[in-house]
Amino acid sequence: MIARLAWKNIWRNRVRSSVILSAIALGLFSGTYIDSFMKGWIVDTVNSDINSHLSHVQIHDTAFLANNDINAFFLRSFVSEPIEAAGLAVSTAYRLILPGMLASANNAVGITVKGVVPGEEKAVSTIENQIPDTLGAFLPDDARMPIVISKKIAEKLKVKLKSKIVFTFQDAQGEMQSLAFRICGIYKTTNGMFDEGNVFVRYSDIFPSTGLPEGAVHEAGVRMADLETCETVAPPLKNLFSTLSVRDWGELNPALSMSMAWMDFFGIIIVGIFLLALSFGIINTMLMAILERTRELGMLSAIGMAKGRIFRMIMLETVFLTVLGSMAGIVLAALVILPSMKSGIDLSFLMEDQFEDYGFGSIIYPVLNAKMFVQMLVLVISAGILSALYPARKALKLKSLEAIRQ
Amino acid sequence: MTPIIETKNLYKIYTDQASEVRAVDDVSLRIAEGEFTAIVGPSGSGKTTLLNLIGGLDSPTSGSLYAGGKDISGLSEKEIIHFRLHHIGFVFQAYNLIPVLTAKENVSFVMELQGRKKEEIKRRAEELLQAVGLGDRMDSRPAKLSGGQQQRVAVARALASRPQFVLADEPTANLDSQSAENLLDIMEQLNRQEGITFIFSTHDPRIMAKAKRMITLEDGKIKSDVLK
Repeated sequence: MIARLAWKNIWRNRVRSSVILSAIALGLFSGTYIDSFMKGWIVDTVNSDINSHLSHVQIHDTAFLANNDINAFFLRSFVSEPIEAAGLAVSTAYRLILPGMLASANNAVGITVKGVVPGEEKAVSTIENQIPDTLGAFLPDDARMPIVISKKIAEKLKVKLKSKIVFTFQDAQGEMQSLAFRICGIYKTTNGMFDEGNVFVRYSDIFPSTGLPEGAVHEAGVRMADLETCETVAPPLKNLFSTLSVRDWGELNPALSMSMAWMDFFGIIIVGIFLLALSFGIINTMLMAILERTRELGMLSAIGMAKGRIFRMIMLETVFLTVLGSMAGIVLAALVILPSMKSGIDLSFLMEDQFEDYGFGSIIYPVLNAKMFVQMLVLVISAGILSALYPARKALKLKSLEAIRQ
Repeated sequence: MTPIIETKNLYKIYTDQASEVRAVDDVSLRIAEGEFTAIVGPSGSGKTTLLNLIGGLDSPTSGSLYAGGKDISGLSEKEIIHFRLHHIGFVFQAYNLIPVLTAKENVSFVMELQGRKKEEIKRRAEELLQAVGLGDRMDSRPAKLSGGQQQRVAVARALASRPQFVLADEPTANLDSQSAENLLDIMEQLNRQEGITFIFSTHDPRIMAKAKRMITLEDGKIKSDVLK
């Protein structure tokens, strides 16, 4: 009965109720949209970096981190056997990492060559998918001395698919080695900085020239099922290889990890501002509703409606408004965000490739989940209830006789 | 006959720094069950204040006030609201219906507050609206009813809780003559047939003419108390 009256009461002034409902709906939609957009942006960036080159976890010799010394290697069996035995990883790719000079007939650039086993690399990274169909393939088996370079490097060296380029580096004995490769693929990731410095060749093609012992590698890229699994699996991996450097993606790219934390923090700030504005809106609306109904509230008390019931009625009116507004906001958010989760939001028109130069993708895929909706709903309703306390208390303080006389 | 309302040396005094106004001044009276009583007097004589005191909407400065055999002058706010819900019916000058509810819902509302059963609420609300001649307007909201019709809904609402007595403050003041006559006929009939006690505060000569007892107040004091 109280609920029915409260429901009818919110439709007394349809314009005012519609305004506050719209404010709640738009506020919740905006909060959810911004949050899902920011989360999508950062999650895309994290996943892109993990997929293209970071992996979830990387393992190196501790000395290798200091100056990429070719002699700071470890044997793949030293890592692969314990990882397989422990069943901690989905897949692992082992790489040689060789800094050196890549030269064409026109130009030369300092880069890092990654000597990889193509099958392993495809299982750990998505670099193969970053090569457009028209720009070759990722280290095909039948190619002789193939190399995959980035679009940026190709532009600097002024080379194209099938061009010949020479890689010069220092081997384990300090001797200069030069190897000629033919470009078999040109990739482009969403991380411009990565693209500027990395090329891929087959392990089997470059290993004989390194002077390293059989089975030597500089890096193991470990892939887990997802980011959440990474959080739980990284610590046991570290314990497994206490003599090596085992770093998860957050340690490998602290800026990225920090960005993620900042995004969460900004999300809280934005939601906080929205809830504060919403609270003032609700207080204002409910105070006006009570002021308009002073005489009626006095009458209700006169005919025997207990103060507790009047209090409950006012609170219920607010709850109905906030729930209704929130539902509308959620529907609006779902209608707008869900389609863009698949198609993405292309921001390249804003700054063309500059996003990618800073390691961010220019197409954002918003992230939205039921948990976020529930959190927003609970927060909005809680803010509504808290905001209604003051107007409801005002209603409680009304004296029947004085109220009726108004 | 057992008094349903009894006041003894009842005072309501309003004071400020400069003066003292005795709105109700040493009023002692007894109203028996089934009476149809009008409290009359010029403006400012204290009749509405007396009605408010009897209805527990205001508290006396001193004196005792018994309603239904219970001293209500010392009840807490919570207790007095509960007492009003179960023992008193109110008819206000300005109808004071809930605008978002239909006539039937307005009448049902008090019974719902009392926690009565759904079937009983429905039956009684329909009976009462039939009794006040609004059987065909049960689903109309107050805005769709005339002033007279609204006041008849208010009377039905006042009776819905099966009160011991009904307090009506200037119930005809906002009505045209015909509507006022109709309303008074209905209330007189309810009094006569069902023995419902009505106490009016009024200037209206039509109520005075129908009242079986007329208490005249002047400057807060009972000037005359005439049983017709």
